[in-house]
Amino acid sequence: MVKKDLSITFLGVKFPNPFCLSSSPVGNDYDMCKKAYDCGWGGIVFKTIGPKSYVINEVSPRFDTLTKEAEPFVGFKNMEQIAEHSLEENLADLARLKKEYPDKVLIASIMGNSEETWEDLARKVTEAGADMIEMNLSCPQMTSHAMGSDVGTNAELCKRYCEAVKRGSKLPMMAKMTPNITDMVPVAKACLEGGADGIAAINTIKSICNIDLDKKIGMPIVNGKSAISGYSGKAVKPVALRFIQQMRTAIPNLEVSGIGGCETWEDAAEFILVGSKTIQVTTAIMQYGYRIVEDLCNGLMHYMEEQHVDHLEQLVGKANKNIIPAEELDRDYIVYPSIDKEKCVGCGRCYISCYDGAHQAMEWDEESRRPSCNHDKCVGCLLCGHVCPVGAISKGEVVFKKTAKPGRKVQDVRL
Amino acid sequence: MSEKYLKEYEAGYTPKLVMEEASRCLLCHDAPCSKACPAGTDPAKFIRSVRFKNFKGAAETVRINNILGAICARVCPTERYCQLGCSRSGIDKPIDIGRIQRYVTDYEDCLKMDILEKKASNGKKVAVVGSGPAGLSIAGLLALEGCSVVVFEKDAKAGGYMRYGMPEYRLPSSVVDKEIKRIQKLGVEIRTSTKVEDLKKLQKEYDAVVLAVGHSKGKMLPMFEGHRFVKTAVDFLHDCKKKKGNVKVPDNVLVIGGGDVAMDVVTTLKLLGVKQVTDVVYETFSEFKASKKELMGAQEQGVSIMDGFVPVSLKGKTVRFTHRFVPSEVKVKADLIILAVGQATEAGAFGLEVNKLQEVEKVEGNLFTCGDIYKGGEKTVVYAVRSAKEVAYKVKKYLGGK
Ligand SMILES: Cc1cc2nc3c(=O)[nH]c(=O)nc-3n(C[C@H](O)[C@H](O)[C@H](O)COP(=O)(O)OP(=O)(O)OC[C@H]3O[C@@H](n4cnc5c(N)ncnc54)[C@H](O)[C@@H]3O)c2cc1C
Ligand SMILES: Cc1cc2nc3c(=O)[nH]c(=O)nc-3n(C[C@H](O)[C@H](O)[C@H](O)COP(=O)(O)O)c2cc1C
Ligand code: SF4
Ligand code: SF4
Ligand code: SF4
Repeated sequence: MVKKDLSITFLGVKFPNPFCLSSSPVGNDYDMCKKAYDCGWGGIVFKTIGPKSYVINEVSPRFDTLTKEAEPFVGFKNMEQIAEHSLEENLADLARLKKEYPDKVLIASIMGNSEETWEDLARKVTEAGADMIEMNLSCPQMTSHAMGSDVGTNAELCKRYCEAVKRGSKLPMMAKMTPNITDMVPVAKACLEGGADGIAAINTIKSICNIDLDKKIGMPIVNGKSAISGYSGKAVKPVALRFIQQMRTAIPNLEVSGIGGCETWEDAAEFILVGSKTIQVTTAIMQYGYRIVEDLCNGLMHYMEEQHVDHLEQLVGKANKNIIPAEELDRDYIVYPSIDKEKCVGCGRCYISCYDGAHQAMEWDEESRRPSCNHDKCVGCLLCGHVCPVGAISKGEVVFKKTAKPGRKVQDVRL
Repeated sequence: MSEKYLKEYEAGYTPKLVMEEASRCLLCHDAPCSKACPAGTDPAKFIRSVRFKNFKGAAETVRINNILGAICARVCPTERYCQLGCSRSGIDKPIDIGRIQRYVTDYEDCLKMDILEKKASNGKKVAVVGSGPAGLSIAGLLALEGCSVVVFEKDAKAGGYMRYGMPEYRLPSSVVDKEIKRIQKLGVEIRTSTKVEDLKKLQKEYDAVVLAVGHSKGKMLPMFEGHRFVKTAVDFLHDCKKKKGNVKVPDNVLVIGGGDVAMDVVTTLKLLGVKQVTDVVYETFSEFKASKKELMGAQEQGVSIMDGFVPVSLKGKTVRFTHRFVPSEVKVKADLIILAVGQATEAGAFGLEVNKLQEVEKVEGNLFTCGDIYKGGEKTVVYAVRSAKEVAYKVKKYLGGK
């Protein structure tokens, strides 16, 4: 039975393991958070707490999903805002959780609508006993433009609000970024200048998942209309990883809490390798429950063992230097597909995709129902390898282009 | 002739297929499958691990909960246990839990994972009589607790009916070998070709003795006794397994019985190339004891099955049967007759009281029972594991309290 130390120190706070609930309904009150801690989550970012003056009034229904063939859903759209409970109730829950779970990490997510309210909320959650603060600068469906992702795209405003929070509290603080922006780096830098100690990324992506074809209204239909709102879940992982990579490259030693589409330990390991020290999860919990933390932890331990590391820190950011600008990639060679004729079941999908979506290099033998690659036409895109249903196509022979310098070698190629 | 017999009948999953099957799982709350596994293998948990790509974790769950996980994966009558209440049946058909478990334990084997961890020695000595699934499981479990365990086995090789009963095409000997190695690795000593006759002596020499001698004898019906062309099912299967399928069988064989053991016999005969295999069964199809899977396997092989008939007389090599409900009579002549009408225990030889279900009624002092002779369980491998878990706990308590 594998046993590894999963603890990690992030912004000076020690987490028993890197897995946290991200701020959302999965950490809405005391009972939920208690169950989550008991299931094994290392930390909780409590549902975002807003100023007393801002009244939350939610719509119903409020979710939609993107499905694909047999998959229940790969993406999730929500129209929720922030905590519905009263400020007093939330603060009382925070205090009780910290008292009962001193070894677990409790993070208060806050969202003000003015410098005063940010400062005030920071002070209040600190008094309640939170270990850390997360500033929600990124909810895409707030009914006020002074709040949420509209703020998160305005670097100057973010900086001022960070300063306000720092005036209200000495706790370590991370600013949660919106992905609804071309470049996250300027906002992240502004937050750090304003006093943020680290960055949390990403919040949800503005989206429309589906449209009802009869009624011609976006989904979900809220009394005859719908709205653009935040997208999350497995489908957003690539976007999250990309933003984190960009920030980690632009801002040396940036401490990051990674969020967006983490379901399996493999997802988690990816977030760690691009530089996240903790990983936050919502959609996978909404879909499968807190219990997923068992396989997140156990799977990550096995990965550590395979990698021969004793501390998670040793893996943080290990992929950063291997993700480089596209213009710097090696363009000297072509790798041809290698087709395993034993594994091949003769479906012809590689042939179709190569013809209709690539370079007509895959040839088809009608008699034997087997493909073969014509190297004169193949450009080595390996689209065929991605569509083959049985994994019969892998990387094969590597050939250098005429323009390549003589004596070139290739170390590692994989599709 | 033995080629078909030696090849595992059902192919294992590929990584892609196991994922597809795991994706069919509904990841139920309070999962019926886990509640229904007699050994507490917790299929809902290991399937979830597969679903979330944690294959090693899945292997840990199986192995920690079920010390014979790789064998159960192949031989459990899952339709009666874990798959019986599977929620997926509400959509189409249950998850193939046994086959997922097989993938997971094959994975464990491929990576040579070493999952079980022994506690420090507690200085206690335990003897186990019989190396079937029950004896092996309890030996392993007590070794994990720190006991020094010796298993006594009268046969030349360990494994009981896993070794000499279940046919090769369902349970390859290599799988049994590996499970036994795993248990030996925990420090268990197995003394084969050593029949225990004096139980009292053993009880004096060891702190505790576990009797796991199973139902090692095939039952005979009086009218068939003493004929050279009549064999019991377990003797026949034993012979096949020992000789790796190189046994001489005539072209026309009659089998009497309709349980899983009978199905193993008729399917084995067919795989060995016997032309005419006739199975005459006391139960009618609606009352059939054999699992559907086994029955279908036999039918697929082309076995003639007659249901509802009772043997009434034997003349030469011809058996006369009459039907239980309709006025009907058949005569079957065969060159070999195999009786699959149940097994009995030989535990009575130790002076112990044996009941109608072939269970030992009562044991006292430092003597315990386990497996088929344990009171109150079903007679399957997974129940042997379950009883081993229960009895290991009792033995531990007994030894601790001394
Ligand atoms: C043909 C056949 C097919 C079966 N198929 C299945 C199946 O598919 N799935 C399933 O779950 N169950 C199946 N069963 C039932 C299953 O095999 C038994 O329930 C199980 O083996 C019982 O385990 P056990 O350890 O109690 O006894 P056994 O497996 O019978 O082992 C008892 C061992 O004790 C040894 N022994 C006996 N007396 C002595 C002595 N005096 N000294 C030393 N050693 C002794 C015997 O040689 C034997 O090795 C099958 C049974 C048979 C006969
Ligand atoms: C229903 C729902 C409500 C959310 N509410 C909040 C919130 O109150 N505060 C916040 O910072 N993020 C909120 N989020 C965003 C999540 O915390 C997270 O950043 C995002 O969903 C991406 O992670 P995931 O793919 O694991 O869900 C919410 C997300 C969902 C799905
Ligand atoms: S896609 Fe794969 S399986 Fe289908 S024809 Fe091509 S190589 Fe064969
Ligand atoms: S041990 Fe047998 S009954 Fe239990 S889950 Fe596995 S296959 Fe099913
Ligand atoms: S009962 Fe069936 S569907 Fe439900 S968890 Fe078990 S295997 Fe999956």
